[in-house]
Amino acid sequence: MVENIVEMQKISKAFPGVLALDKVDFNCIAGEVHAVIGENGAGKSTLMKVLAGVYRPDGGKILVRGKKIVFASPKDAQNYGISIIYQEFNLIPELSVAKNIFLGREPKNKWRLIDTPLLNQHSKALLSDLDADIDIQTKVKDLGVAQQQMVEIAKALSLNADILVMDEPSAVVSGRELDSLFRIIRSLKQSGKTIIYISHRIDEIFQIADRTTVLKDGQLVGTVNTQDIDKPRVVNMMVGRSMTETFPARQQGEKKEILALQNVCRGNLIKNVSFKVYSGEILGLAGLVGSGRSEVARIIFGAGDMDGGRVLLNGEAIKKAAPKSSISCGIGFVTENRSKDGLVHSLSLRKNLTLPILDRIKKWCFIKEAQERLFCTNCVKEHGIISAGIEQEIQYLSGGNQQKVILAKWISINPTLLILDEPTRGIDVGAKAEIYQLMRRLAKEGTAILMISSELPEIIGMSDRILVMRDGHIMGELSPSAATEESILMMATGQNSDLNQAKEKPLAS
Amino acid sequence: MRLSFLKQDRTTLIVYLVLIGLVVATSLLSDIFLTSRNIQNLLRQVVPIGLVSVGQTLAILTAGIDLSIGSVVSMASCLTTGMILGREALIFPVLTLVIVLALLVGFCNGFIITRTGVHPLIVSLGMMSVVQGSLLLYTKSPAGSVPPSFDFLAWGKVWMIPFPILLFAVVAIAGIFILRRTTFGRYVYATGGNEEVARLSGIKTARVKIITYMICSFTAALAGIFLASRMGMGDPLVGERYMLDSILPVLIGGTSLTGGKGGIGPTIAGVFIFTILSNALNLLDVSAYWQWIVKGLIIIVAVAFYIQKKQ
Repeated sequence: MVENIVEMQKISKAFPGVLALDKVDFNCIAGEVHAVIGENGAGKSTLMKVLAGVYRPDGGKILVRGKKIVFASPKDAQNYGISIIYQEFNLIPELSVAKNIFLGREPKNKWRLIDTPLLNQHSKALLSDLDADIDIQTKVKDLGVAQQQMVEIAKALSLNADILVMDEPSAVVSGRELDSLFRIIRSLKQSGKTIIYISHRIDEIFQIADRTTVLKDGQLVGTVNTQDIDKPRVVNMMVGRSMTETFPARQQGEKKEILALQNVCRGNLIKNVSFKVYSGEILGLAGLVGSGRSEVARIIFGAGDMDGGRVLLNGEAIKKAAPKSSISCGIGFVTENRSKDGLVHSLSLRKNLTLPILDRIKKWCFIKEAQERLFCTNCVKEHGIISAGIEQEIQYLSGGNQQKVILAKWISINPTLLILDEPTRGIDVGAKAEIYQLMRRLAKEGTAILMISSELPEIIGMSDRILVMRDGHIMGELSPSAATEESILMMATGQNSDLNQAKEKPLAS
Repeated sequence: MRLSFLKQDRTTLIVYLVLIGLVVATSLLSDIFLTSRNIQNLLRQVVPIGLVSVGQTLAILTAGIDLSIGSVVSMASCLTTGMILGREALIFPVLTLVIVLALLVGFCNGFIITRTGVHPLIVSLGMMSVVQGSLLLYTKSPAGSVPPSFDFLAWGKVWMIPFPILLFAVVAIAGIFILRRTTFGRYVYATGGNEEVARLSGIKTARVKIITYMICSFTAALAGIFLASRMGMGDPLVGERYMLDSILPVLIGGTSLTGGKGGIGPTIAGVFIFTILSNALNLLDVSAYWQWIVKGLIIIVAVAFYIQKKQ
């Protein structure tokens, strides 16, 4: 009889414009290492934040050790022995390792002052349990990322957590450091802890996980014993979706070279990137987050610096790149993070929409407001933007409508090249379909579109050509008819080579 | 049309309602309040505070702040009287020079802020120290003199309206107009609301900020010149109070220190609330120390109110 230490039943969680979790069941047996995998946006982190008391679910219930509980805060979850280690560490860089581990829970002596000897002794004990060779007096800012991760784990253990959630630990460490992390996970497991390990890297689960839960688009695909499955099957579970999304048919416009990158470099982020974009096509740029895709976009738009190489627009090298001159050359840029660098939240829909074209609707330095209103009203109609009027503050629109405003804003400059970084992230299916239609129409009218996306069906369904990036390199070009989600994922993660290596060397245990 | 504007701009409405309430309450509490003598006295206090607050509103809208305003007020007042020295022919050349110098200070503020990325608070604080120090090297005590015709600036009347009131009205209306109707005004809000979005939309945000700080110094220079005319001499410490007095009305008006939200309309209400409050407390014989306490509490309550409202 196995006992579920954690049981999450029919958990739902919606954010404005998107259903992040849709009746997801998840359970965890005491003492196991349980991997949760899925693509970006599949709902892994949301599910774990619900478990850790960060988010309140809209529906469903949580049982810990068989008892139904409602977490009001992360503190509540901690009291039940659940601790989460985030991708971005919650450490204070200027404080020492020991002070960080016991931050807010410092042992006190009889004078109610911090008992430093006891603090140090506890910290040392925790770290030596983890076999981590870290001086407890070092400031956290002087530690490497892997060591900081150890400190986070020690901190979680100091809370007497017996359920440890690790949110994509392999996003920050790799190679030997990852191996030692795995060693620690195994020893924690032996001492009876339950580990929930979140990742989007398939290889790792075979090295570490007893069971694996796969999520996709906020839904549970299934929970399986890791030893019963193989890699192709996991990939299939992760990406193979029922094609509910239909993509509009391709209609290519006139083809002529618009943009060319020649050996563009930027530090460690981008290495010798060369490619061309033609009018009337949608060029899909695939790759994992951090592979340098967004950096390439920023360089083309003149918002990011480059160390070497050339960018040619209509055959002429761009000398001094800046957003303003890019816009006047007809380049539009829909950024990846809508709320951080896509919109001015304090301004109305109208004022957001006309930011890049104010120069064209002014006389002297006065805005021709009647013309501006008319333009915005037409824009809202044309793009089917749903709002309480053009004077509504943009922050109160749904994600999909915000994204349509951003697209409309850039279409208003009559772009010859439109860069779209994750154009459909976090928006609902209906708005997605409308945006796809819009992209097709623009391409047909001759606009060159460079689309960056982590959603593989979108890459395959929308692109006329597909480029795959990894670690700052362009790994190759695929045609959408030949590409499969598996082949893109393999190229983006370099798993072919890893697979070979794994065969060559015996599994260490 | 107008009504829908009030609905959206509820903060402005609230501030003006508070102002009306304050006027009613004060006139009930004191017989002197609504006498023409007291009103003239009140308006004379409003002018310099109002001028610098208009400039400060712009700086705060870009998510910055200008602490050097007070020292520029002092500088303008001292240089004006110190260089004119009673010679009527020099009024216009000297005023031009003073305004150019003030614009230069504003330019330095903006240039350093946008080039180095040092927080405006620190840059303008440093600039305040530099300007104030230079000024004290120039004169340590009230100095200079002005010809009788210079009095017009503070005491003259145009069509029965005191000239300083007219000056303030022109500056305030120009400010409102710039913010509402011009591309520059729109850029100020966009830059303060989200500088990266503004930059990616092709706005030269550095230029917007530099011009903003120049306008700030310009209004401070006008205030300094007005004070020189009112007192007939320049005082190197006359501007000290305007560092705070320029910021508090902006905050009372609900303009957010994080930038991008607010406007000159509510700031002007803030200026009147602020000065009427001092005036009322004076009329009611409340000691200056109590006045400090009351003003301090009011500012905290006002800003806390806006934050609660936002949430």
